[in-house]
Order: sequence, then C-alpha cells, then structure tokens
Amino acid sequence: MRSSGPLRFLSEPRAAVAAAIGRWARARQGDDTAPLTLQGRRIYILPTRAGLVAAVLLFLMLLAGMNYSNSLALLLCFLLCGVTLVSMHECHAMLSGVTVLRAEAGNSYAGRVGELQLWFENAQARTRSGLQLRSAGCPPSCFELPAAASQRVRLQYQGGVRGRQRIERLELSSTAPLGLFRAWTWLHLPLQAIIYPAPAGRRALPAHGGDPRRSEQRLHGGGDDEWAGLRPLQESDSPRSVAWKVYARGGPLLAAQYDAPAGMQRLLDFELLQGLPLEPRLSQLAQWVLDCERLGESYRLRLPQLTLAAGHGDAQQRRCLTALALYGT
Amino acid sequence: MSARAIAVAPPPRLPAVTVLLLLGGFLGATLLNAQHTAPWCLPLALVAVAWRLRGLRAPLRLPTRYLRIGVALLVTGAVLAGFHTLNGLEAGSSLLVGMAALKLTETERPRDWRILTAAALFLLLAACLDGQALWRLPLYAIEVWLLCAALYALGAGADPPPIAALLRHAARSLAFALPFAVLLFVFVPRVSGSFWALPQRHEAFTGLGDEMSPGSISQLTESGEPALRVRFDADVPPAAERYWRGPVLHRFDGYTWRRQPSGAGPAPRLQYQGESYSYQVTLEPNQHHVLIALEMPQATPQDLPDSYVTSDYQLIEPAPSDRALSYRLQSYPHYRSVDALSAAARQLDLQLPPDRNPRSVALAHSLRASAGSDAGFVAAVLDYLRHGGFSYSLEPPLLDLDSVDDLLFRTREGFCGHYASAFTMLMRAGGVPARVVTGYLGGRWNRYGGYLFITQSDAHAWGEVWLEDRGWVRVDPTAVVAPGRLTEGLDQLLPGVGAHRNWLMSADWIANALQAWQGMNAWWQDKFIGFSLARQLALLERLGFRQQDLRAFALLLAGGAGIWLVLVAWGMRPRARAAAGDGLSRSWRLLERKLRHADAPRAAHECASAYAARVGARHPEYSSMLGALARRYARLRYGPTPSAADLAQFRRAVRRLRPPPRMRRI
Repeated sequence: MRSSGPLRFLSEPRAAVAAAIGRWARARQGDDTAPLTLQGRRIYILPTRAGLVAAVLLFLMLLAGMNYSNSLALLLCFLLCGVTLVSMHECHAMLSGVTVLRAEAGNSYAGRVGELQLWFENAQARTRSGLQLRSAGCPPSCFELPAAASQRVRLQYQGGVRGRQRIERLELSSTAPLGLFRAWTWLHLPLQAIIYPAPAGRRALPAHGGDPRRSEQRLHGGGDDEWAGLRPLQESDSPRSVAWKVYARGGPLLAAQYDAPAGMQRLLDFELLQGLPLEPRLSQLAQWVLDCERLGESYRLRLPQLTLAAGHGDAQQRRCLTALALYGT
Repeated sequence: MSARAIAVAPPPRLPAVTVLLLLGGFLGATLLNAQHTAPWCLPLALVAVAWRLRGLRAPLRLPTRYLRIGVALLVTGAVLAGFHTLNGLEAGSSLLVGMAALKLTETERPRDWRILTAAALFLLLAACLDGQALWRLPLYAIEVWLLCAALYALGAGADPPPIAALLRHAARSLAFALPFAVLLFVFVPRVSGSFWALPQRHEAFTGLGDEMSPGSISQLTESGEPALRVRFDADVPPAAERYWRGPVLHRFDGYTWRRQPSGAGPAPRLQYQGESYSYQVTLEPNQHHVLIALEMPQATPQDLPDSYVTSDYQLIEPAPSDRALSYRLQSYPHYRSVDALSAAARQLDLQLPPDRNPRSVALAHSLRASAGSDAGFVAAVLDYLRHGGFSYSLEPPLLDLDSVDDLLFRTREGFCGHYASAFTMLMRAGGVPARVVTGYLGGRWNRYGGYLFITQSDAHAWGEVWLEDRGWVRVDPTAVVAPGRLTEGLDQLLPGVGAHRNWLMSADWIANALQAWQGMNAWWQDKFIGFSLARQLALLERLGFRQQDLRAFALLLAGGAGIWLVLVAWGMRPRARAAAGDGLSRSWRLLERKLRHADAPRAAHECASAYAARVGARHPEYSSMLGALARRYARLRYGPTPSAADLAQFRRAVRRLRPPPRMRRI
C-alpha cells in the first residue's frame, strides 16, 4: 500500500488526494465514541459549485457598481455578499452541536448492502435541516432534526469480503440553508459489522438426520410436529404456513411455526461439500442455513473444530452465519 | 423503483410557497425596471408569471425547444430594434427581463429557478443603477427581502417552511449582513473609471438652459425639484443677497437670449468688499456645465480642479456628470470691477438685432436722452417699469416675435425672464452694455438639515449692466415690478399659483414633515450617493491613518470583517431549548412563582407532585388543590398528547390560583 502511494497519485489523483485528506482528518480527530457532540473544530466547510457561481455573479455586480460609480448598486452587492457569508455561518451551525447518541452496525452478506443505525439528538432551539448521512459508496440518507428532538437514522453501507468489517468513516453533511456552502464532518465511530458469506450454491439440502418421510409430511403441513408459536409472515413463506385462524379473527398475517421433534434436524456439514473451494463452500452452507430457516426446520452446523447445537430461528441463524463468517479468520 | 423509472420521472416540482416567492421576486424586479425597459417587457413578464401561476393547479405543458429559441430570437430582435444596441442599462435590462420571462417557460429543475433568481437580482441591480432616489429605497429593500426569502425557500428543497418563517429568516440574515455591507461600502476603495463603455443616456435634465425665451422658465417655476443645497460655514446671507449665479446670456435675436459659445477667457479682475460667505454646494445634475455660485465667487472650487472662471464670471466644470456635484466656495456679495471693459466685451453686450422691437428702441432713446447719465438711465428704465402698469404673472400671454415691444406696450404681464429680457434690451438700445444672468434667487432654510434648499421653482433671471464708474452692476427689474419676489418665495407672492402647496404648508406639521424629508434627502444625496474616494481618504485621515493607501483600507476591511464574523457567530450561538420551554412549562413556572413565598423553591430533583406535597404540608388549605394541579401537570406532560384546550384549561387554573400568604420568619 505504502509503496503504491506515489504511483496512485499519478493514476488516480483525485482518489489519492481524497485518501490523503481522509488520513489527515483521521489523525487529527482521532477515534470517536458515542455519545459525541459535534464541535466546530471537526466541521469542515467549502463552497459548492453553486457557491462558486454566486461568487462570480457577485464579482460581476461589483464591477457594474464600480463602472457606474453607483453607491446603491455597490451597497446591494455588499449586502448580498453579507447574506452569503451569513449563510456560511448558518451552514456551519447546521452541524455544530448535533449529538450522536448511539451507533449500531447491522450484519450483512459479502458484497451486499448492509444497514447502519445512528441515533441523533438536537438539544438546541433551531432546526437542523438538509442533513445527509453517508457511508462510502452508498447513497446518502437525508433527514432533518427539529428543535429539541432526537431521531434514528438508517443508512446503507457496502459490505466487503467475508469476516469482520470495520465501517471506517461516515460523513454527515448539509448544504442548507442556501446551497452555496457545504459543511461536513467525518465520524470515525467504532462500528463493526460481521460480513457473512454471500449465500450461493445450488446443492440440495442434506437429508434429515431422522426419517426422511416425516420431513415430507412436515413440509406439507401435516404431521405431528410440535406447535412452537407464531412469527410475522415473510415473503418467502408459503401460503400453507399462514396462520389463517388468526387472520380470520381479524389479526395480522402470521406464519405458524413448528418445532421438528428431536432428532429430526438436518446436519449442515462442512465435510459434505468436499471438492469445493473454501469460499463457495461457506457460501453453500450459508445458503443452506437460509433454506432451512425458510422451511422453518431445525438444523445443526458442523465446521472443522466447531459444531453448533441444533435449533432454528433468528438466534440460530445468526450464530451459524457468524460462525461461517469468522471461519478461518 | 427500477432504474428506468427514475430516469424517466419528471424533475421534482417545486412547492407552491417557493414558486410564489420566486415569481413575486421576479415580478417585483421587473416592475422596478419598468420606467426604463422596453414597453413590451412588463406585459411579457406578466404573461409568463400568470402562465406559471396556472401551473400551480394543473400540470403545465412546457413549450418545445424550437418555439423557445424562436421567442428568444424575437426578444433579442425587439431589443435591437428598440435600442440599436444590447449594451447599456435600458437595452441590457430589457433583454434580461425578456430572457428571464422565457426562462419561466422552461423552468422545472431547481437549477433553472436559481438562474431565474440570479436574473431577478441583476434586474434589481439595474434598477439601482437607474434610480438612486431615497423614496425608492424601501421598494429596493422589500425586493431584496423577497428575493432572499425565495433563495431560502429554494435551499429548503421539497419541504420549505411556511412563508412567514421564510420571510423572518431572510429578514434576520439581512439584518446580520447589513453591518458587513456598510463596512464594505465605506472601506472598499472606490476605483474610478469605466471598465466598459456605456452609451449616453437619452433623457434630458431639467434646469436652467443654455438659452432663454421669455416663457421657457415658466416650466421650471412649477417644478419643486431640488436644484442645489447650500451649507454655510457661519452666517447665511440675507434674502436680498441670495442671488445664485448660473449661465450668463449675451446673444439676443429679438426673441431669444443665448449663451456666448466661446465665453472662456481671463476674467476681468474684481475688488471684493464687505462680508464674505463660505459654503458648500451640492448641485443636482444638470445639462449645462455651469456651477451655480452665490454672487460673486472669489475663486474656483478646490474640490473640482478642472473647473475655471469665464470672462463673465461663470464657473465651468468641463467634465459632464450625471451625479450631484459637491464643491466649496467663498463669495462676496459686494464687489467692484477693477479692469476696464474690453472692446470685444463692449461690442458683445451692446449687440442688438437691427430691425426688431422698434418701439422699445425708440423708448430707450428717449429715456436715455432725458437722463443725465448711464446710472440715471437705469433708474429711469426701472421707474418706467415700476409705474407703467406692469404686473407679475407666471402664466403670461404669448408674445410675438418682437417680444419686448409686445411686453412693454401690449401685455404688460410677465415673470422674471420677461423683465430681465426687456430691461437688458432697453439698456443696450440706450448704449449701456448689458447682459442677462440666469440662476436662482432665494432658497428655503431647512432647519433639520441646516442648509439652504433651492428648488427649480427658485429659478430667476436678472440683468447686469456696465457703468463706467462702478463696473458690472446687478439690476433686478423683477424687484421693481414685484418687490415681494426678492424676499419671499413665489408661493407667498402669488396665492393663485401654488394654491395647493399653500394649503398644505398651512399645516405646520406637514411643512415640518416636508422639511424633514428634504433633510433626509439631502443627507442621502451628500453622504450616500456622493460617497467617493475623496471622502474615503478624508475618513481615513480622520481615523488617524498617516498614509491613506491601500494597506490602510485592507487593514480596516480585514479587521472589520473579522469582528463582524465573530459577532455573527455570537448572534447564532446555540441556545438551549429548555430555556424557552413550551406553554405547559411556562404555566408550571408561573405556579412556582406564585408559590415562591409559600415554601422553599422547588429543588432540581423534585418532581411536580413531590413539590406540591411539600408545599401542601406547609399550607394544608392548599394541599388538595396543589395535589390536583400536580396530577394534572403530570398527566398533560407524560400522558397522551394533550389537546390545546386541556393546556389552556390548565393555564387558567394556575392563573386563578391565589398565592398563599407569606411565611412568617421565625
């Protein structure tokens, strides 16, 4: 990386300069921890393109006023200069004093978009408008903080390769109120997400550990599985799994869940996928985990040196995917 | 939403508030320019704005690009046909109005609306360049305010605050910006000189002309427009000596008096006598190059280094100016000529058309023959005018080509121009060199401004004759016809003429208000519009800068701007919300204020009910009432969102509460 520095300045000068500025800001500001109130020192501000155009127009006005030696025109020009500078202050004040209460990173799959959540608070008597929160490479989330209010903001981040991913930097910016200046600040919060292997692979699910026929019955809604409860309906659920009785009583659309009896789990075994390279293998395992969850079945995961107990549901899925994400790291 | 759907979606429509503000700003800017743009500009702008307003209700079908290009060419052609140029104020602002109106028909994206706002701001600039009168200032201020609010609305995007909030915001920004504008106004060096050539303006200035046919001044007398303002260093000359000298007329064709084209030359020397007056003149723009001065100015003004004196004592400023001029002079009302009259000057001021006004010439000859001297001849002519049944009138009958004959023997009615003309002609016919001097007489004292205010209605004409033993002597024939003209304004002299003004002036407060307004105008003209590099340098000197150079300006600008930035930051410092509080908090604080003598104030950790319980324990008769209020407060504060009526009821309950008696100190 270090050796490629000078070459990068030649090949992609903009990106190299941006990276250098980012490193400088990081070194200057240090790491952040929530709760964090934004102070003036860490808020940067530059004119936007519209601001530069406005500067040219104001200069033209100045020339016209000088050309005609006209006091009133000059006063108008200077007044507009003043309004522009006031808007610079206002733009800076949009960020100054905003508090980041808390930040959380949701996990994601390799190469896909994940979600971050940040809680902001505005303790002051003015509205912070036109705020944009952005993570590198993703569209910004726009929001507004009314006076004396707090708000949760969700934004996307780009998941990288499998493993732990630190979200290095978030950018909070605003061009309010006139769009002539853009103030921004960089947040280096301790945000860490686990990037699961991207689910992929078309291999069939391994057979049940118990009697395969019973599994078929279970799939078709029959059988004597144990009633486990209700959960919100997902798009992938088949109409069969809908708890129609609840719906008929005027309730929401819920899916009925059944626990397969003990001994009826599938074993998702790393060793079953011999012949595949490591990453596709993990991807296939991740796919199987999701398949099992969709089917509402109980499953176990076995990796070399690690075996996870049988179960299903969100916690089991997270446990298994995390194990896959961190395998070998 | 798919990528394709995003690509074909129309650009976001601006909210109605933003569109209204922008259209209002554009229309206002067009109206402010209406007096000098082409006549089709205002209708075009109105049509475009009306079309846009319709678009607020129903979706608009924007015209095709070819149609727009066609109209753009049409507008350019119309400007070229009307003004023969695209340069200059009139042509430029006409073009700008046309193009902005056209822009309205294609405006969809925020960027287009920004361009429109910029066009409106430039139109406002053009209006400022065109008219700097004080009365226009509030209009300009409102327009700037409107456009700033429009900019804020544009910046707020799809969900702007209500119009009142936008206007408040804009007003606050402008108030913050004003000190900065004043700083720059005072300390940005006024670079003189043109950066691009401007075509000459076509309009004519009112004022004294280069020629006078009796009758031409009647228009001036009706106009109350300011001509000049004079600020005296010490004493003000008495009314009878307030003769303000302007263009001097020599050539007479029997009907019209004209200036002598080559009037320049060494001025015959004068010997000044008696008291002198030092004063500062602010002269409104006029069409001749003569600087108006109290008779007789002693030297040319220092402030105008190019100015010079002609042989007939006119002060000439060669550079034309469309702005008010300001200069200092010293004058002596009493003077004598030292040098003899040159032959050329004598010939010029004895010139008469040979075969015109024969009866007047005969009259002059007979009067001269019976008078023993030139001075006696002057007295005889004045006597003739005094007792000949002549009267003063601002609406005299028309005169035929032998104008002096017609005046003296038929109409016997006229104003200063008529009598100055007749007197001077009689003098010349009697062999006395004479000329007509035009200028102003009198002036009204403005006690708010502390200056003499001379309007175009004070325009006057009088005669000047050469007497061998005394030199040039001023003779005002109007004074013998209407003696009051000298000491009073026309209004008092002729009740019929300025009847409406007299009626107005009869109320003291109106007269005072008018004077105050004139005083403000004078200040505006002198201090604001006339602000120049010379004034800036003088200011720097007064501020103690030894060298009035660019560094001094830079220092002041940088220092002032720094202080201003700090002050603005301080003005925008964060304010905690809790201090203001909502209505419920205010009501509760009122309750605590009422109970302040009942017990110790509420501690920070005490909730409403604990506080109420404590006070209730001290004053048992209040216990239940305070407990109920505290419960209501808690329900309103922490329960489901209360209605306005509930809050108002709580407030009333707190207001009705009668505070318990003061605790007795033990």
